[in-house]
Amino acid sequence: MIDNGLLVQMLMGALLGLSVYLPLAAGQLSLATPAFYAVGGTLAALLSTRWSALGATANGGFPVPSLLLEMALGGVLAGLLALLVGRLVLRLQGIYLAIATIALVEIVRVAILNLPFTGGAVGIFAIPQPFDTAAGYLLPALALLALAGWLCQRLELMPLGRAMAAIRHDELAASCMGLDTTQVKLTAFVLSAMLAGSTGALAAHFLNTWNARQGSFDTSITTLAFVVLGGSRTWLGPVVGGLLLTALPELLRPVGDVRLVLFGLVILLGPVLAPQGLVTPALLERLGGWSLRSGASRKTENAQP
Amino acid sequence: MTTSSPPSTAGSSGPIERQQRGALRLAALLAAGIGVLAWLGRSSDPAAKPLPAGPLTLGAAIAFTGNANLYGQDQRMGLALAERWAQQTGAPARPVRLQLEDGASDEPSAIAAFNLLIRQGVIALIGPTLSQQAFAADPIAQRQGVPVVAPSNTAKGIPEIGHFISRVSAQSSVIAPLSIEEALRRDPSIRRVAVFYAQDDAYSTAEVAIFQKALAARGLNPITVQRTQLADNDFQTPITSALQLKPQLVVLSVQAVAGGNLIRQLRELGYRGQIVVGNGLNTPNIYPICQRWCDGILIAQAYSPELNTPINRRFQQLFGQAHGDRPPPQITAQAFAAYQVLFEAIQRLQRKGGLTGVTLGQARANLMSELLSGTYATPLGPIGFSPEGEVRQDRFYVAEVRMAPGGRDGRFALVRELQLQENQP
Amino acid sequence: MIETLLQLLLNGAASGGVYALVALGYTLVFSVLGVINFAQGALFSVGGYLTFLLMGGKIGVNGALPGWGLPGGLPFWLALLVAAAGSGLVGLLVERVAFAPLRRRNAEPLLALITSLGAGVVVVNLLQLLMGAEGYAFPHGTDALGGLPGALMIAGARIRTIQLLLLLTSAGAVLALSLWLERSKGGRALRAVAEDATTAQLLGINSEAMVRLAFFLSGALAGLGGGLIGVSVSLPGPYFGIGYGLKGLAVLVLGGLGSVPGAIAGGLLMGLAEALVPSAASGWRDALAFAILFAVLLLRPSGLLGRRTVEKV
Repeated sequence: MIDNGLLVQMLMGALLGLSVYLPLAAGQLSLATPAFYAVGGTLAALLSTRWSALGATANGGFPVPSLLLEMALGGVLAGLLALLVGRLVLRLQGIYLAIATIALVEIVRVAILNLPFTGGAVGIFAIPQPFDTAAGYLLPALALLALAGWLCQRLELMPLGRAMAAIRHDELAASCMGLDTTQVKLTAFVLSAMLAGSTGALAAHFLNTWNARQGSFDTSITTLAFVVLGGSRTWLGPVVGGLLLTALPELLRPVGDVRLVLFGLVILLGPVLAPQGLVTPALLERLGGWSLRSGASRKTENAQP
Repeated sequence: MTTSSPPSTAGSSGPIERQQRGALRLAALLAAGIGVLAWLGRSSDPAAKPLPAGPLTLGAAIAFTGNANLYGQDQRMGLALAERWAQQTGAPARPVRLQLEDGASDEPSAIAAFNLLIRQGVIALIGPTLSQQAFAADPIAQRQGVPVVAPSNTAKGIPEIGHFISRVSAQSSVIAPLSIEEALRRDPSIRRVAVFYAQDDAYSTAEVAIFQKALAARGLNPITVQRTQLADNDFQTPITSALQLKPQLVVLSVQAVAGGNLIRQLRELGYRGQIVVGNGLNTPNIYPICQRWCDGILIAQAYSPELNTPINRRFQQLFGQAHGDRPPPQITAQAFAAYQVLFEAIQRLQRKGGLTGVTLGQARANLMSELLSGTYATPLGPIGFSPEGEVRQDRFYVAEVRMAPGGRDGRFALVRELQLQENQP
Repeated sequence: MIETLLQLLLNGAASGGVYALVALGYTLVFSVLGVINFAQGALFSVGGYLTFLLMGGKIGVNGALPGWGLPGGLPFWLALLVAAAGSGLVGLLVERVAFAPLRRRNAEPLLALITSLGAGVVVVNLLQLLMGAEGYAFPHGTDALGGLPGALMIAGARIRTIQLLLLLTSAGAVLALSLWLERSKGGRALRAVAEDATTAQLLGINSEAMVRLAFFLSGALAGLGGGLIGVSVSLPGPYFGIGYGLKGLAVLVLGGLGSVPGAIAGGLLMGLAEALVPSAASGWRDALAFAILFAVLLLRPSGLLGRRTVEKV
């Protein structure tokens, strides 16, 4: 049912979900992820097709280390852009920030469409392939996801993560407590951009082609839906949301022409039925509380309110 | 709270620790799940298996959802008509069935649809709808050795993706100059030409370059080139600035609905000269948009509804039965042709024995060589393929739109039919 | 030269008027609930298609019921009004399904972005199933508008009649709405809820009814815009409203969230700015709206005419 190609797309969905989650964990609703994704993808498409030093072969092959280098560079470039833009937009709050970041996505999209070296409407094609099959992409995608997940998991125990949670809870109080809120928010924003940029670089190879249509307003909203449906309180929420929602339209193929109507209904009803998302802190707490040794201790726990 | 339990047991630490542990457990669960999915979904391309007896499956991945559905729905008609045509041409040597999938309008969906169809063991693929999608999905078919016939990809570089990629949709480079020739034949005094094109559309940008070259070859330099956007439908501003320069000929390369609007607004704003339009407007879908204002525009066609050949008459008849009395769009005819060439190649190959005692992979490879070697009498006219898979179509048409008095309906009246000697890929 | 400028200004004002309609729709909902209704673009499409059907248009070959149409046909103006009301009803439905359940549960306002977007996806795809993706032009075109000529000369500038009507209609609608908000009892009640829902409740205003009214009006404004654009440039497929929805969003923030005069001024400004972009740079035109928005947000985060208020999302 789910072939390796779709699984790679699902993993990339999870990565983009995490990218939206990171600023949100610091209380910032940023929809800029597709802009950074597009920047990373464009960079990889340009480098791998124009820069022969990376070792693209005549029959369309590409060395894996070069792919990793591109993912790193894509992350760095997106991170630098985020550093630049973040200083400006992170002064905004709530819906203002959301719309400013949508504006950023549109500006980047139009720029990629109009710049003289990005292939215009057709985009860049014949991107060389580091792997023979889609299965090859599973490893870098999983590795990136594991890295991001490990970081998010660690973050909860680190001062940075605690500061982010404090800002999300009450920004004013956090700054009164002497937190450098700007710095914390900016760090989250840059991390989010780096993740999206690296994912974009990987996606450019996976998709064989890259054009301005890849990072758009639609992607902004779909990636936000990953977070909202999966759950925005823990990092596993966006991962689960990204995996499921990317697979959903494909799994709905048997219903034929109405599959996008059903997809829309899921997005519409999901938050109504599960306002906290699928993965909630309470769920994790229950999962973590399960004792592997015996059911007896659990019984006593449950007996308490 | 459970803080009362002794601190040594696993399930009794604080909520943060328990959450962390829960997250790790869920992450491990997910990782295991992904591992299982990766194992279950590992490349199970059935190419190595022997080709089963019975009907062969053609897979088509075209846009049923998203913006490109505008073209996808016309292609769906063409494929359905071709299926009916194939059923009615007597008992085929090898029956063929069609498997349709939604290739949607974006690249990931096209890839997913191609992967799905390839794993289902199709013998060949038709699609995807947009050139940008073709650049994403075709390499996958190429790597797995599955023949692809593109019904509507016109961008440069599609057949070059590889041996298994071909198309029946002629590039604009071949077609576009013909209508300019006709306009200049009608009025040799034309000196002032205005050009409009959609700058963010892959098709228009390619076609307008050809138009410009054709103009330059006749010593004409456009007095103005107006750039529009794919989603634009209000063209007053560019028209206003173009009309100030008093053009005698307007050349436009945009997609169908936008083109209809552009023509109508040009006329409403007082332009009376000739209009030459690109191949994207070769669809009766423009009639309701520009209505009586469509009258008189010149268009070069890769498909003429008025072509009088047995197969085109048959195609027209089938189209009329299914969709009422109106001419079929070019894109429908091209989708029909994509099915037809594959169907005929399969029949020839079956008779030659190229489909017996082979694996699916070999059958696909044999079909590709057979496809490229043949010639086909299609509704588009006689076509064949270059060794790269580029369509060789040597008959093109110039038509003039003539609208019925009510302005609701019209036809593409054939003005000239051109036979090209040798057609460079 | 003067004529050209006048022509450009009129063109810009006409598109600006439609942007203002869409932005006003957002504004009404935002001012009472503090959330953005992402289904607004889909309602714009609904208005266009409803107007088409009410005028006696027939469904094309790719629709669910090819060749079907409503019996008879209303004159354009009546069809436009009925279609606007119809879009308003769809707006009400969106409120029931995508907003009300969240409000009852006191959920995060962020969720409404997603549910309303989901509602938009459903509406647009249903439209596509019903009508197909082909372009539709109105049954009688501009001839339906009382036999007016295709274009008029105003002080030497030639402008399409329909464009002028578009400008006048949107100006009329905007004016009527502003007056109603300012003067009438219902309008004052709506503004009271927007100011402070709790106080309004204490004053005996049914705030739930006001929320519904805001959604109805908001949908009607979008529908009106869709019908007007439809008759001006035909219906180029079910997705055509989405672009206007996005542009309206930029206008909304440009003028100031929740500010009625801001939405109008923002719309006009955006339309004019776009009309003045030279063709050579038209590729960058779509970025212009957002670049202006970006600049305004950074210099004056509350918008051109907005007040500094508490953000709810």
